Amino acid sequence: MIRFRPLWPLAAVMALIAVPLLPLAATSQAPKPGGVLVTSPLSATPSLSPHEESTIATVQQASPCFNNLVYYDPTKKQESVDTIIPELAEKWSWQDGHRNLVFLLRRDVKWHDGKPFTSADVKYTFDMVRAAPDAKGRLKVNPRKLWYENIEAIEAPDPYTVVFRLKKPQPALLPMLASGYSPVYPAHVPLAEFKNKCIGTGPFKLKENKPGEYVEYVKNPDYFVKGRPYLDGIKFVIIRDRSTQIAAVQSGQLDVAGSGWNRTNAEDAKKGAPKLVVMEADSNVNDNVLINFKKAPFSDRRVRRAIDLALDRKGYLVGPRQGAATFGGALLPKPAGVWGLPTAEVAKLPGMGDPTKQKAEARKLLAEAGFGPSNPLKFTLSTRALSIYVDTASWMVDQLQQVGIEATLEQIETGVWHPKMTRLEYQVALNLTGVGIDDPDAQLFENYRCGSQRNFSGYCSEEIDRLMVEQSQTLDRAKRLALVNEIDRKLQADGARPILGWGKQHWVAWPHVKGWALHENSIYNVSRRQDVWLDK
Amino acid sequence: MKIYIFKRLIIAGVTLLGMSMLIFVLMRLAPGNITDIIFESAGYVDEADRHRLEAELGIDKPVAVQYMVWLGNFVRGDLGKSYRYELPAWEVIKPRLPVTLELAVLALGFSVLLGVPTGVMSATRRGHPVDYVLRVFSLAGLSMPSFWLGMIVILLLVRSLGWIPSMTYVSPFENLGANLFQFLLPALAVGYRSSALIMRITRSAMLEVLREDYIRTAWAKGQRETQVVWRHAFKNASLPVITLIGIEFAFLIGGLIVTETVFNLPGVARYLVDAIQGRDYPIVQNLAMLIAVVVVTANLIVDLLYTWLDPRIKYGQA
Repeated sequence: MIRFRPLWPLAAVMALIAVPLLPLAATSQAPKPGGVLVTSPLSATPSLSPHEESTIATVQQASPCFNNLVYYDPTKKQESVDTIIPELAEKWSWQDGHRNLVFLLRRDVKWHDGKPFTSADVKYTFDMVRAAPDAKGRLKVNPRKLWYENIEAIEAPDPYTVVFRLKKPQPALLPMLASGYSPVYPAHVPLAEFKNKCIGTGPFKLKENKPGEYVEYVKNPDYFVKGRPYLDGIKFVIIRDRSTQIAAVQSGQLDVAGSGWNRTNAEDAKKGAPKLVVMEADSNVNDNVLINFKKAPFSDRRVRRAIDLALDRKGYLVGPRQGAATFGGALLPKPAGVWGLPTAEVAKLPGMGDPTKQKAEARKLLAEAGFGPSNPLKFTLSTRALSIYVDTASWMVDQLQQVGIEATLEQIETGVWHPKMTRLEYQVALNLTGVGIDDPDAQLFENYRCGSQRNFSGYCSEEIDRLMVEQSQTLDRAKRLALVNEIDRKLQADGARPILGWGKQHWVAWPHVKGWALHENSIYNVSRRQDVWLDK
Repeated sequence: MKIYIFKRLIIAGVTLLGMSMLIFVLMRLAPGNITDIIFESAGYVDEADRHRLEAELGIDKPVAVQYMVWLGNFVRGDLGKSYRYELPAWEVIKPRLPVTLELAVLALGFSVLLGVPTGVMSATRRGHPVDYVLRVFSLAGLSMPSFWLGMIVILLLVRSLGWIPSMTYVSPFENLGANLFQFLLPALAVGYRSSALIMRITRSAMLEVLREDYIRTAWAKGQRETQVVWRHAFKNASLPVITLIGIEFAFLIGGLIVTETVFNLPGVARYLVDAIQGRDYPIVQNLAMLIAVVVVTANLIVDLLYTWLDPRIKYGQA
């Protein structure tokens, strides 16, 4: 029988490192203006155009330049519709039974080049993102077109009013507009310029962008929020090597670091520089297993369930995730998440029970499907050639072997990972998915709807599609949650895309860094950094 | 001599042409292209958009056609545009050249200053404890990868002094002192390995020459050690050393990927790897050509130096 170490030491470590988080998150000191904050993002950004990218690297490095109509309050740890605050919109209101979303815009906003911001910019941006036939711009790639497909028209009746007219009610539109992926672009600046430059309305103006080296911002003196930003500037230095990143923060060359770090990285940094403050929070990034529904024998539900049961989730927690993960279904579980399954139900999901019993059940299901010691199930387990993927996939190979499945690990070069997944050119794969906003519309439609470009497993259920649409239009939050939970249960029962767990984010900062906020149910919507200041 | 140089230039041209074809084809044999990479960062693939982009970039045409277009532009001095940054390729490559060049020159300078005297010393004191110590020192240099040494140095510095070299590039025109300080450690880390190689080649070449009759004659004439060793022996032993220095320089221009990564220096080698991963064909093609030009030129210079070091060598004569 496999025995696991008790988890209480991990809990103790988590408690210890959570305590120093307090001085950064909440401080009673009066903020001091000035200073330049230096940090290192996940990687170099392919462009400064968040609408054309799906990487946190772009959100981190472009957000200080832009504003949204609305944004998530950085001081609230959990994002929800209740924590949405105004940015370029002063006020908003739902009208006609959530068919029209009306925004009244600020009148004191200027673009970084001095031109005034108006409703034409909002219409230009979101007509472009939803690929409206009469849109004045066209995005080279448009990863979030799906978010806005329910918009029938965007109207700008006067320079400071915008109306989003919807085909059907969709309360999730407001959270989507609050995402770090939803900034407003200037209609007068050619889209191609955002490859290397940035003209926004945000708290910081681009000083210099040396692609692959650094992105540097200076304070926008004309920022419409008086007294913000506190910092004179932010510099994002690209440091590819993780050990060098750690050394750079220890030596004080970086004020804060940690994008893409695991717990060990943060602990290592602190060991070398004990004054560093470690921050840990949930992240809404999950490790998920893609089982190709279009390829036999994975179309057999018993085979999918056997794979799901073979993967012991507690082993995943102490193994590849080093104690830093939570468990759940298709949506981030509570307390960090808003829409996840109740804790009692999560405990009953495949892989969560006694590993010996679960593995025995997996063997039984495989036998029923015609696989056994004389005829083992063999397949290639594909994953992206990045250590954070490969570590978990290697662990999976071992787990699967314990139920008689012979899985061969295939590492796919990162540049062709998504194309291969989109074309379903794999059998079983280990994937990571970061969820832009903690809202069922974003997560479910993107990853589970029949024919969605990001539905990498090829899963398709008419019933689920119908329920997805129903929850999307449900205005009562409790009723919507019940529907979402129902969908989640069905997805887990179908083995649509088994979730191994939800990873955590780890950051380290010097004590002089104040107001560096983290959100626990998304990493994408908290990078404006106008409230960050340095206590130097 | 002029005929020899002319012939070498012709051969260099043919070599570069062959290289350009090889790089062009190899890059396109690798799975995926720039459109895959663009959609990779977008997290999905839209086939219609992908085909549109391929047509925009001209990579939907047959490879032979793409090559001819590139060659025509290259001959006219048009290096094309970076697919990823949408900037002229030369504009992207130019700021990275001085970084790698400075690192290579400093590392090579250090390796020559360390490797040649220690190699000579080791040879002239063969069997002496100094010889053993120097050989162990050089063996250690050969055994330790320079990036590993660099990483260890960084870790030691941060642990003991709480300091490491600047993580953003400081131009020598901006602050020469800070620039040299930034390049000192990577140059030492890379130069140590090269110096070990130079030391070993110098030693073996010197040992061979020191056995020659004319050296014995020089000793018999009562010449001073420095004169015998440096004027008579080393000059004749230096041919393989010069060859090695030439090869090392060419290697350093394109082979410092990990060192540039560890010390976060925005040089050519690190960028070449990024460009390969990003399938940024114009950048890869031009950078690889640049490295090829350096290799060919370094070899030509080494060959020409032979005639100066050893007057017996006459090129272009039967």
